[in-house]
Amino acid sequence: MNESLRMVVVLAVIAMVSAGILSVVYGTTSVIIEENAARALESSVYDVLPQATKVDIIRRSADELGVDDPKEMREQEQRTTLIYQGINDQDQVIGYAFVGEANGYGGVVRILVGVDEATDEILNIKVLAHTETPGLGSRIEDESFRSRFVGKTVEDPIAVNQDIDNLSGATISARAVADAVRQGFVDTAAVYRGGE
Amino acid sequence: MVLWKDLIRGLWAENPTFRLNIGLCPVLAVTTSAINGVSMGVATTFVLVCSSALISLLKRIIPDKVRIPAYIIVIATFVTIVDLVMHAYLPDLHSVLGLFIPLIVVNCIVLGRAEAFAAKNSVVRSAVDGLGMGLGFTWALTLLGSIREILGAGSFFGHALVAEGTTTLGIMSLPPGAFITLGILMAVMNMVSARQKRKVS
Repeated sequence: MNESLRMVVVLAVIAMVSAGILSVVYGTTSVIIEENAARALESSVYDVLPQATKVDIIRRSADELGVDDPKEMREQEQRTTLIYQGINDQDQVIGYAFVGEANGYGGVVRILVGVDEATDEILNIKVLAHTETPGLGSRIEDESFRSRFVGKTVEDPIAVNQDIDNLSGATISARAVADAVRQGFVDTAAVYRGGE
Repeated sequence: MVLWKDLIRGLWAENPTFRLNIGLCPVLAVTTSAINGVSMGVATTFVLVCSSALISLLKRIIPDKVRIPAYIIVIATFVTIVDLVMHAYLPDLHSVLGLFIPLIVVNCIVLGRAEAFAAKNSVVRSAVDGLGMGLGFTWALTLLGSIREILGAGSFFGHALVAEGTTTLGIMSLPPGAFITLGILMAVMNMVSARQKRKVS
């Protein structure tokens, strides 16, 4: 066989075998990976809605929001379709939770926010994922910082140096949390209340 | 006997971390705790053994001119398998190491052993060489991770050694701590080797 042809064939065969193996592995693991992620998020919902004993997932499609522009629709969908509704042992809805995202100092900061059904005040927030500097930006995970958001409503500015005290040395991280909470809150409250 | 030599070479005489000084990026990055070190070492060992064995098996089939891309495909396949399996079955560990697992592909130990050893030796010897190198890498990472975890976080394999609130050497958990620890360990290794040599002569 011609030498260059042989190179092409060997490399192509190796690549095809590799792709075949990987597609099988991906097929079996991706199901478990998604389940894990969903379960992890659901168990976090109980942290921000302490009285909940059951969590319902509400999906709202972009149609219901009255958004026509496809690009905006996609963004809206990514941001607000998933709302977690917390239900207590007497089958009463006690609140809802949503995920907010914003760019921090080292990457995306993802926050889960729990809101009281009756008062529309934030009950608790939880940092789901971040890549902030250990020791500085990572203090956004601390209870002392997270508690600064408790009791805020969608009417509040929820902004660093306005109604949220800053974290010294970690302004960008603190601002990212505030942005994520505010943006998610505004979007979700509109969908959640608007859809009823 | 040959196999035994292949195995122990990676553990001390040609230890990838302390002796060959290759693949240092994950060494410095993930060793904030002992468990991270062990896990990264085991993941790399798996990739090393599998890719060395397969590359040795394919050494006559792969044309010389395209051997590097072929090796990289083989290595990347095993790394992706490790990444996916770890993500599915060990999600907590994956959230810590996730960023570094794909980087095993470009860890020069793996390609280095494929080039320097697997491409010239039998399948069994290549697998044993991969195992030895991997174990050498693992103990180096575990030692580094243990020292940094004990000094930086006051714990060992996640078990707290000091009372809560005790001031620890925070710098040991940060990148400078990795360089400092690695430097000191290398100095100690060199000292031990120099003593051994003097004894022999």
